[in-house]
Amino acid sequence: MNGKLAVVLLFLPPALFLFTLFVALPMGEAAWYSVYNWNGYGTPENFVGLKNYILLFHDRAFRSALVNNLLIIVVSLAVQLPLAFALAVLVADRFRGAVTFRMIFFVPYILAEVAAGLIWRFVYDGDYGLVAKAATAVGFAAPYVLADRDLAMYAILVVIVWKYFGFHMMIYIAGLQQIDPNLYEAAHIDGATGRQILWRVTLPMLRPTIMLSVFFAVLGSIQFFDLIMPLTKGGPSDSTQTIVTYLYTYGVTRMRIGFGSAVGVVLFLICVAFAFGYNRIRTHHD
Amino acid sequence: MFERIIATAFALVTSISAAGAANVNVKLLHVEQNPQASGFLKEIARRYAIEHPGVNVEIQYLENEAYKKKMTTLLQSPDRPHIIYSWGGGVLREQVEAGVIEDLSASMAGSWQERFNPAGIQAYTLNGKIYGVPMQVSQVGFFYNRDLFAKARVDAGAIKTWDDLLAAVKKLKAAGITPIIAGGADKWPLHFYWTHLAIRNGGKGAFEAALRGDGEGFAAAPFVKAGEQFRQLVDLEPFQPGFLGVTFPQSSGQFGDGKGAMVLQGNFMLNSMRANSADKKGVPDEKLGWFAFPTTAGGKGEASDTLGGLNGWLVTKGAPTQAVDFLKFLSRPEFQREAAARGFFIPVVKGTQDAIANPILRHIAENIGRSRYHQIFYDQALGPSVGAVVNDVSADIAAKVMTPKEAAQAVQQAWQLANQGSR
Amino acid sequence: MTDPVRYDTPVTIAPLLRIAILLLVAGLVLIPLVATVLGGFKSLGDLRVNPFGLPESWEWDNYWSILSGPRYWHLLLNSLIISVLTAVLTLAAASMAAFVFAHVRFFGSRLLLQYLLLGLLFPAATAILPLFIKIRDLGLLDTYWGVVLPQVAFGLGMSILLFHNFFRQLPGELFDAALVDGCGYIRFFRYVTLPLSRPIIAVVGVIVFVHSWNSYLLPLVVLNRDSLYPWPLGMMAYQGEYSTDWQLVLAFVTLTILPAVCMFIVAQKYLVAGLTAGAVKG
Repeated sequence: MNGKLAVVLLFLPPALFLFTLFVALPMGEAAWYSVYNWNGYGTPENFVGLKNYILLFHDRAFRSALVNNLLIIVVSLAVQLPLAFALAVLVADRFRGAVTFRMIFFVPYILAEVAAGLIWRFVYDGDYGLVAKAATAVGFAAPYVLADRDLAMYAILVVIVWKYFGFHMMIYIAGLQQIDPNLYEAAHIDGATGRQILWRVTLPMLRPTIMLSVFFAVLGSIQFFDLIMPLTKGGPSDSTQTIVTYLYTYGVTRMRIGFGSAVGVVLFLICVAFAFGYNRIRTHHD
Repeated sequence: MFERIIATAFALVTSISAAGAANVNVKLLHVEQNPQASGFLKEIARRYAIEHPGVNVEIQYLENEAYKKKMTTLLQSPDRPHIIYSWGGGVLREQVEAGVIEDLSASMAGSWQERFNPAGIQAYTLNGKIYGVPMQVSQVGFFYNRDLFAKARVDAGAIKTWDDLLAAVKKLKAAGITPIIAGGADKWPLHFYWTHLAIRNGGKGAFEAALRGDGEGFAAAPFVKAGEQFRQLVDLEPFQPGFLGVTFPQSSGQFGDGKGAMVLQGNFMLNSMRANSADKKGVPDEKLGWFAFPTTAGGKGEASDTLGGLNGWLVTKGAPTQAVDFLKFLSRPEFQREAAARGFFIPVVKGTQDAIANPILRHIAENIGRSRYHQIFYDQALGPSVGAVVNDVSADIAAKVMTPKEAAQAVQQAWQLANQGSR
Repeated sequence: MTDPVRYDTPVTIAPLLRIAILLLVAGLVLIPLVATVLGGFKSLGDLRVNPFGLPESWEWDNYWSILSGPRYWHLLLNSLIISVLTAVLTLAAASMAAFVFAHVRFFGSRLLLQYLLLGLLFPAATAILPLFIKIRDLGLLDTYWGVVLPQVAFGLGMSILLFHNFFRQLPGELFDAALVDGCGYIRFFRYVTLPLSRPIIAVVGVIVFVHSWNSYLLPLVVLNRDSLYPWPLGMMAYQGEYSTDWQLVLAFVTLTILPAVCMFIVAQKYLVAGLTAGAVKG
């Protein structure tokens, strides 16, 4: 059969094997372990049913993590994306230096999250940092931003916007540049103002681009870990925990396999719910 | 064919990452940040290698917090270090129960065991077997900066009770001096307050009762009161600004730089202070003072009770016999005396404490010797998950986000969870 | 006609205002980075009083002490090994699987593809604990493979998706012609598909490589031996040791992001071409 069988038997197994062993199985095992209280040695013996989940939702730190993830999503969608869009509109043109600006705005995105986190740890440091120096220069006492339970999360949100707006901007630029300029010309002839063109022509045309950007933003928001660890490790007093940092702190470092797996399962369900909802919205409108 | 590629690649890759080619390689992992103190360890390793050709003792360092966090995953690796640093307590018990620690009873029997203070051996004995080599003791107390105290006219000698301490804090504040430095980011420096207050309030009895699960355990009155008293202190705002974001090394550096009058720490803090101060020296010995943790009104604990550590070295399962031999070498009285004289730690080997030069360390050694109840830090004594909760609640009380009652209950809950046949 | 309206964007804005805004934003973006690079050149005292400006005196020793020791290079080497292995294996497994899905219809092939694409749905973090147990039980803790293999597995979803799309877009006549000539699937893959796939191989390869290069959580959980640390772990370990010596930490951070920034500057010509090409079209 032209080696149809051969190619299937040869080409599929590597991917299938690796995926099943390191992705599918662990996911299933997470569900399994989550109903036990286990510290990783031997086999799980202490069946606790849904206790881990109950403990989870009663834990102040976890609820804080959920709220923080939600906050990140909201800020990403309400602040970061509009900012990225506004800048995209400014630099999508071909003018001298446009490309340079685009590159500059994109640089934070190419840095590893953990490096960006450490850089901003310096920026926010109360003794040596840029924020402290700027504050004292204007006459205020240097704030210890990352040690303040009320400020720390907002400080982190600033870093998130700084890191990712360039990426979304690039997506929007690509989208903007694909809009047929004739549409603008036609609208212009019809007497539409710039703002009307923006709302009535540009944004609707950009719908798929915006959907893509939203997809990345939300999915990314759910996963934050590398960025948080160098900055605050989830502190002070668990005020900057995210789901994944919580999983690491309370599950991995304390070897509470069952409990940590429960967190993983909750995270998985959140992702699935999002994918589901996103798909609904996408197919509903297309 | 795929397998062969994998196998060769694997071999290539493991050979790249293989350690140096000594006949026997013993790997030791420690948490001592101070370069002189760790240098001392390396020096002994070097001397051992000279006396035992073909054996290379590799001294590796991992930062304190990372060390504690990684230990659980580290011990499961086939590549774990052969000798690890230990605070004993419940963490040691869990490690032993996981079957990753060597039983040293046979090796230690006889002259080697005789070298040590019996309390030290006791701390590393579980179910009648010896699992570790004790090395040093430490006590937690208040180190203070004499100059800053003088400036605020606070007399350290007059601080005997908890209320005395609160009064001193107020006086320091009034003089514009930051009363206390704390490393809140690491949390365990804060747990000293809660724990020591509990020791003063309830003494040995309360702790042992809690361990047995009597009554309300850790939610009992002495522990709740400890939280309340700690909260009293917190309400005075005694700590340096941003203390919740300051790590232990940073806090030691800050104390050494004179940014605050006191710090509640173990004597190991001195090493950290020297390593992290701006001038790499910190507060000089003559300007450094120390007083014991104050007593509390109506407390059942004895004034001589101490909170601190009894640290030692463990050998992991499967380590070469030279690892055990190296520890025997390390615990030779002459080396221990040298460490004592140079102020690196307070040794546990008998007859070495008179070599301690530093007066504060001497004083501490005497305290520990006299104490009938030396409580190991709760965050180690109670095991990793409960210990972590103690740290969490202490930091939460300091951040004013948890009430003393909630704190005690959280600890009790964690204790119950960890001890109802968990596995 | 009248005004030279730009049609790439719907809104016109005074050039001066635009430049002003862009410069402001660019400044805000670059300040942390510039301060970090410069910070590595300062002494600790200088850094404390002058975090924004140029160094009072250029302390080359901070950078030199890191560059002249083996530690830094060892970290880069580890990262390189792990990332190259991950990229190569992912490319191999994903391209092969995608090829089958693109060309071979068999019972359950759609389902299998959906199954493999499930990996796109959730991050590695969800299963990190069972993954850790599994890696431990396979004896792969503290090995490069313990990091590489899971990374490959989690990267398969996106890689297969990209390859699949690309293969489907290749002209079908090629395949039909090959079939007629009696060319087997495997030979077709090797002699036709792969050569034509250079662009997508480059794209997937870069994405997978960069993702592995920057990854932190998985190595953190799997690797304990510092001789195996990739640079993110090494950087955090360095910061833990020298936490009070910010000038050294900043120098170290600068050196670790240098490869990425350099690669970016080199590759940006590529990106620029791609983006401006889009602008010309239409």
